[in-house]
Amino acid sequence: MRKSTLVLLPFLSLVFCTFASSQTATSLDPTLAAMQQELAREQAQLVLPGMQRPYFMEYRLEDIRTYDAVANYGALTRESENRQRVVRVEVRIGNDVTDSSSARGDGSLALAPEDNDPAALKFALWSATDEAYKNALRAYAAKKASLKNFQSAPTANDFTPAKAVTLIEPLVDLQLDRDDWKHRLIEASGLYATAPEVRSFANAVEFSSASLSAIAVNRYTVNTDGTALRHGYTGYTDVINVGGQAPDGMELSRSNGSTAETAAGLESAEGLHKRTLDDLVSFNALCHAPVVGSEDYHGPVLFSGDAAADVFNRLFVPNVEADRPDIGTNARTQGVYQSSFKTPVLPPFLSVVDDPTLRSFEGKALLGAYKVDDEGIPVAPVDIVEHGKLMNYLIGREPVKDFPESDGHGRAALGQAAHSHAGVIEVKSADPLSSEALQAKLVAYAKQQGRDVYEVETLGGELIPRLLYRVSPSGKRTLVRGAIFDELDQRAIRSGIVAAGGKPYISQTIGPIPETTIAPELLFADITVKRANDEQQKLPYYEPPAVASK
Amino acid sequence: MAYAAGPDNKTPADNKTLVSAQDPVLMQAMETELHRALSELGSAITPVVKTADASVQVSGTKAEPPPAQKPYFLSYSVADAQSVSINAQYGAITSSNETHSRTADVQVRLGSPLLDNTHDAHRTSALTTLPLPLSDDRAAIERTLWYATNRGYGKALDALEKVKTEQQVRAKEEDSSADFSAEKPTDDILHTEPPLTVDRTAWESRLREISGVFRAYPHIFYDMAILQATHETDYFVSSDGTKVAAPNHVARLIVVARTRAADGMDLYRDETFEADATGNLPAQAKLIADTIAMAKNLDDLRVAPITEPYSGPAILSGRAAAVFFHEVLGHRLEGQRQRGDEEGQTFTKLLGKPILPSFLSVADDPTLATFDGHPLSGHYLFDDEGRPARRVQLVDDGVLKTFLMSRLPVASFSQSNGHGRAETGKMPTGRQGNLIVTSTKSVSDAQLREMLKAEAKKQGKAYGLYFEDISSGFAVTTRRSPQAFQVIPLVVYRVYVDGRPDELVRGVSIVGTPQAALNNIVATGDHQEIFNGICGAESGSIPVSAVAPPMLVSAIETQRQAQGTARPPIVAPPPLDDAPAAPAAAKGGR
Repeated sequence: MRKSTLVLLPFLSLVFCTFASSQTATSLDPTLAAMQQELAREQAQLVLPGMQRPYFMEYRLEDIRTYDAVANYGALTRESENRQRVVRVEVRIGNDVTDSSSARGDGSLALAPEDNDPAALKFALWSATDEAYKNALRAYAAKKASLKNFQSAPTANDFTPAKAVTLIEPLVDLQLDRDDWKHRLIEASGLYATAPEVRSFANAVEFSSASLSAIAVNRYTVNTDGTALRHGYTGYTDVINVGGQAPDGMELSRSNGSTAETAAGLESAEGLHKRTLDDLVSFNALCHAPVVGSEDYHGPVLFSGDAAADVFNRLFVPNVEADRPDIGTNARTQGVYQSSFKTPVLPPFLSVVDDPTLRSFEGKALLGAYKVDDEGIPVAPVDIVEHGKLMNYLIGREPVKDFPESDGHGRAALGQAAHSHAGVIEVKSADPLSSEALQAKLVAYAKQQGRDVYEVETLGGELIPRLLYRVSPSGKRTLVRGAIFDELDQRAIRSGIVAAGGKPYISQTIGPIPETTIAPELLFADITVKRANDEQQKLPYYEPPAVASK
Repeated sequence: MAYAAGPDNKTPADNKTLVSAQDPVLMQAMETELHRALSELGSAITPVVKTADASVQVSGTKAEPPPAQKPYFLSYSVADAQSVSINAQYGAITSSNETHSRTADVQVRLGSPLLDNTHDAHRTSALTTLPLPLSDDRAAIERTLWYATNRGYGKALDALEKVKTEQQVRAKEEDSSADFSAEKPTDDILHTEPPLTVDRTAWESRLREISGVFRAYPHIFYDMAILQATHETDYFVSSDGTKVAAPNHVARLIVVARTRAADGMDLYRDETFEADATGNLPAQAKLIADTIAMAKNLDDLRVAPITEPYSGPAILSGRAAAVFFHEVLGHRLEGQRQRGDEEGQTFTKLLGKPILPSFLSVADDPTLATFDGHPLSGHYLFDDEGRPARRVQLVDDGVLKTFLMSRLPVASFSQSNGHGRAETGKMPTGRQGNLIVTSTKSVSDAQLREMLKAEAKKQGKAYGLYFEDISSGFAVTTRRSPQAFQVIPLVVYRVYVDGRPDELVRGVSIVGTPQAALNNIVATGDHQEIFNGICGAESGSIPVSAVAPPMLVSAIETQRQAQGTARPPIVAPPPLDDAPAAPAAAKGGR
């Protein structure tokens, strides 16, 4: 369990802040101390004659450890372990109202020493600071010039003040039995040839790959508000990817895995074995599944498994993350919900909260959880949608119209500027149905409409169905292939969802920013299912080598 | 579902080369799969047809007639490489890694040697690259090779169609040479590389010390010391019967540093030390001394006067002449540059004619591992098309004799001369190995210097120029770009005729055309110097060497280089004294 020290210090004047907190951080961590020393020196000395001094500076050191292993066809093809330390320096010229920042996020990067060598670290910070300051001066001049081209002032300030925070969390590290996992990956990727269940179609498996990626990041941040942070995260993912072609050449694959905060949280060796077999069997089933009808279907589709979470991740989440609108426009944010404040975006029975303080759900550690965001702002739960209406956006230190304060969602991908980003999104229904009741409702539609309806269990890529079933009025499920969805959009999630389940699915991603989405199954009344017009690749020109019977 | 049985009329694998049980497992797998692919691809019953359930609604058309194209050439080239890479900056390690990789380059050629899928702009259509298993798991290696070959075959079919169409449409080509040369097979399995062993802890502390030198030079705002050590074994089998395996090992230490003059001019130096193993790199004392000399030189350059436009005599040091010949002559003698609509073809029509003063000869000899006891980077045993390395006399007594040939023929030469080279994952082209320039008109350094002064005096100049170090730029040889060679002088002195001490100048850049510069060489020094480096071109980055004596050029034109506009750093670098002393005891990267 992580222990942390969270100290909120009194508000400090932004421009001339002193390092009241530096003693605390210095005594706790020598790296933060070195960063603060260089920051103080630069703050005192960094100015070009006749030009402005920075009004805000931030140093971030990222200590990144990664491990990757990949096996194909039952043999290890790649194993790599890396460590990299990078410093990112952000310098802002101007003031809160208008500063040198752009939508992209500005900053300079430099390699930093792996050694805990304060002189070399300061040297790296020094050279990145020089570059960041010069860039900021140029950007500020360009921005002031471009603002003169527009009639109306921007709808919000460029930056929001913040209180100094000191947070020192324990350092994280990669903890993983590498040999054991390599063995698991080799075994799993070789199952296509060794498992009796697969023997009959082993030759049709064109690729079979298993991989593991692990990352441990420790982040050290100091800024001229007096904030000093040391926090980090870990993430582990294992993935199986098997595939080939149907007799008509259609390319089909099954790809999935598990994601967790610790290696122990990943699926077990038995779990991986079973999942791989399931994937191989369902790949074969897909190869022999009928192709979806050539004429479009418009009607009920049940999104079960991880399909509903994927829909939210693509259609909803990016639009509640408030990004600064284009300069010269009157918009509130980028994205489709920029003028949807207090209007319906979901059906009335659905609510959405982002709660990064939720550390676990149904016993599973949540990757998107955190206490203080990457800009040093403590986070609390945010009610995004209440009874279907959009009530809040997720905000970082770059505010938007009507939301002048950060709500602790300024989060940064590695080496990048912090932007508004979700942590732990939870979609809740006021009227949850059991899985059985949802299935019954779907079949009832089929009966009522006197035709087959659809259920999708898992999606891939851009909301493409991977496992799609045709469900008959008698309740019979038939796997089909070669379909895509149409009219699955913001309108569909606003007014097309007729029921939600009570069994939430936890979808987690590590990169670029750790994030969790928890969503129940969803029944849509009217989605289009149509045949994909993908090119059908040629079947293999010759047979693969015979699979040796073992 | 039963998998459809293969065609009954398979021809047995080519009997010429039998898979030998003594060969490494990797080699056995490569050979077996190569011969299987050759016998099955393009045979009567393809593509593979899977038994389809009656329930399956197969969309699209009926099965097309099988492609009748059999590859006329197939090769598998596998690089098994183990590397250690350590970087240090300003006295501290920034990264330290160890990697092992096995990569297969599969080459599929369809059509005929006269016209195949690689013609003209489709050269890369023959190549498919995939990582291979790191262990000797034969079944997995074979299936990976199958996957790559199958994909490569599809790509080649597509490209061949395009080539045929383009041939119909276009005007007759200037050079109607074949697309691939016929060669006698080679069969030579040499020993494979033993595992790489590098004392990383010791090297990490050596690199800390080397890069720590720059702490004493506050105006040098960027520095890096890099150690790279690689043990590689290259395996190659092809359908024309070649089967070779050869080891290759290298250790390289590179030190780079950068500063900026007050007027914004960026100044840069680098130094490369090369050996066959880390243990044979120069002693630490020598590395430190050379790094200090480089740092001092860079500091001097920062405050040196800026050059003025100049046209007159100059000496290129041996090292500078080596880089000059590599860029200006070597790249333009690559075979593939003599054909193709986009190529400059500088020397294509000069075969048998003098292109250099008659006292100069140039050979490329990759068979040399050392020169005067010093290791050469451009050494190899077989090129990347499985051809044995060969010494090639490019220029004999000033007369152009031949080009650097891969298996891509040109009008004047239809065969490879063992110079088909590529980085893993790229199509081989004619490239340099060890370019060696020799002279029959050589004088001592002192005499050469006096000749420079005399020549300057004769031309009415106050000084001649001495180019001590030149950085190699990318040689631009295509027709659309100017035929200017990209060599960037790094360290240049004025040698005054009146006996004043030599004066370092900065910002020198050379103007002029390649042939002119080469023809203005009037004499050389009497000892050759070596330049080892990495050369980048269309077929990737490969290690090369160039060896040349110092040269006196009667006329060279220089101008002031375009310079940066950024100011030097505003704040002085962080003081070293307020940091607790840690480097020596600092924990390493592991």
